[in-house]
Amino acid sequence: MRKTGLSPFILACMVFGFTFLYAPIIMLIIFSFNASRLVTVWAGFSTKWYGELMHDEQILGAAYLSFQIATINAFLSVIIGTMAAFALVRFGRFYGRSLMIQSISSRLVLPDVILGLSILLLFVSLQGLIGWPERRGMMTIIIAHVTFSSAYVAIVVQSRLAGLDRSFEEAAFDLGAGPFTVFRTVTLPMIAPSLIAGWLLAFILSFDDLVIASFASGPSATTLPMVIFSKVRLGINPEVNALATIIVVAVAIGVVLAGSLLQRQAATRGDGKP
Amino acid sequence: MAGLARVGLTGRRLVIGVPLIWLCVFFILPFLIVLKISFATQMIAIPPFSPLLDWSAGGWLPGVHIDWTNYQYMFSDSLYIVAYFNSVRIAFFATCICILLAYPMAYGVARSPERWRNILLLLIVLPFWTSLLLRVYAWIGLLKTNGVINNFLLSIGIISEPFQMMNNSFSVYVGIVYSYLPFMLLPLYAALSRLDFTLLEAASDLGASRTRAFLTITLPLSLPGVVAGAMLVFIPAVGEFVIPSLLGGTGVTMIGRVIWDEFFSNQAWPVASAVAVTLMMFLVVPIMLYQHFQTRAEGRA
Amino acid sequence: MNWKIGTGFAALAMVGMFAATAQAEDKVLNIYNWSDYIAEDTVAKFEAETGIKVRYDVYDGNETMEAKLMAGNSGYDIVVPTAFPFLDREIKAGVFQKLDKSKIPNLKNLDPELMKRVSAADPGNEHAVIWMWGTTGIGYNADAVAKRIPDAPTNSYDLVFKPENAAKLKDCGITFLDSPTDIMPIVLNYLGLDPLSSDPADLKKAEVLMMSIRPYVKYFNSSQYINDLANGDVCVSVGWSGDVFQAQARASEAANGVNIQYSIPKEGTMIWFDNVAIPKDAPHPENATKWINFILKPEIAGANSDYVAYANPVPASKEFMSEEVKDNPEIYPSEEVMAKLFAVPTKEASYTRLETRAWTTIRTGQ
Repeated sequence: MRKTGLSPFILACMVFGFTFLYAPIIMLIIFSFNASRLVTVWAGFSTKWYGELMHDEQILGAAYLSFQIATINAFLSVIIGTMAAFALVRFGRFYGRSLMIQSISSRLVLPDVILGLSILLLFVSLQGLIGWPERRGMMTIIIAHVTFSSAYVAIVVQSRLAGLDRSFEEAAFDLGAGPFTVFRTVTLPMIAPSLIAGWLLAFILSFDDLVIASFASGPSATTLPMVIFSKVRLGINPEVNALATIIVVAVAIGVVLAGSLLQRQAATRGDGKP
Repeated sequence: MAGLARVGLTGRRLVIGVPLIWLCVFFILPFLIVLKISFATQMIAIPPFSPLLDWSAGGWLPGVHIDWTNYQYMFSDSLYIVAYFNSVRIAFFATCICILLAYPMAYGVARSPERWRNILLLLIVLPFWTSLLLRVYAWIGLLKTNGVINNFLLSIGIISEPFQMMNNSFSVYVGIVYSYLPFMLLPLYAALSRLDFTLLEAASDLGASRTRAFLTITLPLSLPGVVAGAMLVFIPAVGEFVIPSLLGGTGVTMIGRVIWDEFFSNQAWPVASAVAVTLMMFLVVPIMLYQHFQTRAEGRA
Repeated sequence: MNWKIGTGFAALAMVGMFAATAQAEDKVLNIYNWSDYIAEDTVAKFEAETGIKVRYDVYDGNETMEAKLMAGNSGYDIVVPTAFPFLDREIKAGVFQKLDKSKIPNLKNLDPELMKRVSAADPGNEHAVIWMWGTTGIGYNADAVAKRIPDAPTNSYDLVFKPENAAKLKDCGITFLDSPTDIMPIVLNYLGLDPLSSDPADLKKAEVLMMSIRPYVKYFNSSQYINDLANGDVCVSVGWSGDVFQAQARASEAANGVNIQYSIPKEGTMIWFDNVAIPKDAPHPENATKWINFILKPEIAGANSDYVAYANPVPASKEFMSEEVKDNPEIYPSEEVMAKLFAVPTKEASYTRLETRAWTTIRTGQ
């Protein structure tokens, strides 16, 4: 077994980095137990916001909708983004290549307001011309989200594909494997880290998006960021913190459990190889 | 390329076609709408701009209505140029800080035992499953004059006066770096995790110092990841609006704010579109050139 | 329809006046309103009375809502834009349909004086009725201000627009709404100019005044100040009445010893109105009309005002409010204060552009 060999410098950087990432999260977890409505001033311990959250159908419904949208968006974006990355890296010159490159980077540039507006105008005119989409809602939000998050996935996957050693794939082809077998058994495992990275990026892009979703949504399709931002004027109360705490803690526990499970499996199988 | 030739024409068409059609319908088409609006005249109507084609005159061909003044605005007032440069400057420094912070972290994750890697990755994005607004409020609680950080530093006696960390460029940088860190970390991780670390061990066995091994092996091999991450941070950060508006820094106007003002305060959709189209040209043309030369370089190699 | 006539008299009475429309429209109503801007049971009461299912969405500002209306076909039946400049320009753009006044008998409950003020945006009050109204004024931390300026002129804009006062308040924080259309007319009025002026020379004078106090302003933001006032992080905010009451409520709830007050400055200030209107392309206009009639009932309007602590346009509704709301002179100002309040209709696009530009200069202080 190879030693992990993380130097003290790298370890220190990781500790600092994770502290930076989690400092505000710890703040917001603490304030989810605040007795008063304020999310910035401590006024004693209370769990009442968790009770209120359980009865707040607006927030829970919005959270569920956002979760569905983010998950579907992440899968679609990975599929479409990976296809685009493949086309750009592997297929040499083809009709529409520069168009593809250009629009992938343009989508990152256009500010949310303009991207949201343009896609809303598209939906409105499509509705006028061909009657689709009949109503704006979850589906139109997903379309808008996939449109911009697939660009992020494409760039991540592209950077990985570009540096990939093709000899394994060539060897598999020479052994008579079909293109899809080669992709599944050789290419996919090699680009898997970038697919996971892309999936995670697409998920948080969608889960946290306010502006584009507000433009693309219609009646009764309110995502979580829309609900939370609408509460600014009358005050965010710790209920929203309570929801965030539940999500973070649940996922973190799941992650750690999965991790220790994997570790035990590895230990019982006796293969310490990473 | 013998093997790739066997990827049937159908497969190839599918892989190119799906993203291309999606792009054309849901991005190029909307973008053309924006481009069209940028040449329209602001009007009080639904939608609040003049149509491109004017059929009112009758006859076979419509009149074409093109208004250049939206683009002229940008040169008539230094506001736009200054805002462009402010945005590019802030985005540039934020990108640099992200690289410095994310590189060692991504390296650490990539060198962790394999079963921990995905877990660490998930832990990196987990903070972003909360709401942007909550994170911003939490940062305000940390950074404000009587906030957690200042109180802590005061209580242990390192400082005698509270730091001003809110409503200035410091808080804007903290906000942007925080929000965009995963967009740097994840591509870097994807690039670094493909490194064969046995190479490094071989290098150190051969007597190369850690620094030397890093500079000659790790860094060049991870460069595509750095470029990808820099694109994902720099480009969207230029147009950022929400974070500066929430964390202060009113002394500096970024281009996202200018577009927001034009769009919502002036209801000038045409000018807002023109500013956005120009912003895109500023950023996309260099990227296009870069990609073009990179493809050519790869083709030669 | 025949089978309906056949059913008993009681059923007919219940189905009543909307039996005819029930066939034409789904029993659905899509409402788009500000967040937490209605009593908790109003929607349920409406659903029980009419059998119409309400889909209630919320927004955080006029901006996104307006963009959706302007793009067309928003899918909403009821929206609640602010009169100036939003409702004003939206009516000019032809966003809204005319109200069918014959179907809204409760229009008689409206205060004619208030409706006259809104008619600058909506001539003849043909498209909209007021939902809630309030003022822009000074929210301040009474103790912190008194400590710095004994006998501070808290009932006057002198408090923030006189540089010597502003300088003394700098360390505890002055904030303004980040919106030129909300602040600049107030500055014009303070300078003794016409707040409705669209003369660039007047705008310049207002800009000069703002720049003279700019060094003492902590920030320009239209929502952050609610929390900051409540926490004692800033001590004077030129903001909306309801926001300051929110800050007040939060400070007293947190029992942090921060004493927030609101004043309507004696120089006069802006009055604002949020209005209920029906978009032209609303899918359920008949149901929307019923909603408008419903919310104008005194008991419903009273309950809403009682909950949100804003004034409504139905005088008879005061009977259904607690004293804290109806007897509060900052919510329901006296006649002479009312006389000094002004509403500012949308100015020409060219002036708005200059105003936004001047605001950018003020905000950045450059």
